[in-house]
Amino acid sequence: MLAALLLSGCQEDEVCEEITANPLRIAFYLAGQDEEIRAPVDSLTVYAIGRPEDRIYDRESAVSLIEVPLNPGENTSGFVLAFEHTNDTIMLDYRRDVHLISVECGFTMFFDITEVSYSTNKLTSLVIANERVTNIFDEHIQVFIPDPGNDNGNESEPGSQRK
Amino acid sequence: MITAMNLSLAASENDTIFHPALRIGVDVSGFARQIIEPEVFPIEVSVDFEWRENLFAVVEGGMLTANMERETHQYTADGFFGRAGADYNLLQLITDPSNDAILVSLRYGYSRFRQEAPLIIIPDGYWGDHQTSVDADTYQAHWMEAGIGLKTEVFRNFFIGWSLRGKILLSATSEPEMDPYYVGGYGSSGGNTAMTLHYSLYYRFPIR
Repeated sequence: MLAALLLSGCQEDEVCEEITANPLRIAFYLAGQDEEIRAPVDSLTVYAIGRPEDRIYDRESAVSLIEVPLNPGENTSGFVLAFEHTNDTIMLDYRRDVHLISVECGFTMFFDITEVSYSTNKLTSLVIANERVTNIFDEHIQVFIPDPGNDNGNESEPGSQRK
Repeated sequence: MITAMNLSLAASENDTIFHPALRIGVDVSGFARQIIEPEVFPIEVSVDFEWRENLFAVVEGGMLTANMERETHQYTADGFFGRAGADYNLLQLITDPSNDAILVSLRYGYSRFRQEAPLIIIPDGYWGDHQTSVDADTYQAHWMEAGIGLKTEVFRNFFIGWSLRGKILLSATSEPEMDPYYVGGYGSSGGNTAMTLHYSLYYRFPIR
């Protein structure tokens, strides 16, 4: 499939957009479990810090994985995750390097996450699962949230993760 | 009957006399690649010398140019590459009297080129398009490769041949400002292994 797209020279701009898009993928998991159990969240709104009007997700339901665009012009990006009753922010520091995808589609930006800091209003913890952001398949960040059926409040301290 | 036996004996005696031979070749797969992607053009020639029967010393070398210009990006690369190693003819095992050969190959390869990207626009629907550039810089790579190939004598001393090569990168310029699009002689970058298919034309100079 990918080979066919590349061979066709991806003349369609939309095809190029798909190939050159390189979003950060954040997955939600249940906190306090031995196994990794996805935790879908409802009424999730996501936007970049300082841009509440430009929503990447707008009150979406049953979301267990989000894709957010890292700013290709800066070495840092921050996002607000607005849950039903509370908000959390995630700040990411990264290195950038340009990568030529194909003659027709041109360049994309690869990111190397170096540090992530986050608030813990709903989140209990966060793990960098894969610091290299180079394709649309990997899961880069895992955030852990309490089991909604066992909600005793969250008393975690704000945290940060370094790679 | 006796004459036929004598002739056959004479022929096999002739076969046992080994003449060293020098062969030059042009890899035409670069031209094929240019049809698919006119912006990237590798050209490659080879010299092999059969210094012992069925054992060939081989040198291959070439140049790579890439020149892309689009509204959203410009990229150029320009450099050379070389390989040295040996081929071993497996066809001797079935005592084939022709000059055809089934070859196993081993090579060391080196590539050196300059690349730059004077214009890069990264499209981004959320943050807005980001414009940047990468200055001219030299990139080098060393690798080993092994392969299998076939050479067939189509006319006297004229050969066509193909070969399939697997490559393992030994070392390369670390943390370049941008990964090269195509490493001349090695192949598309993006990993520590590569695979290439070559198609070549050869002429052999017998040495008496």
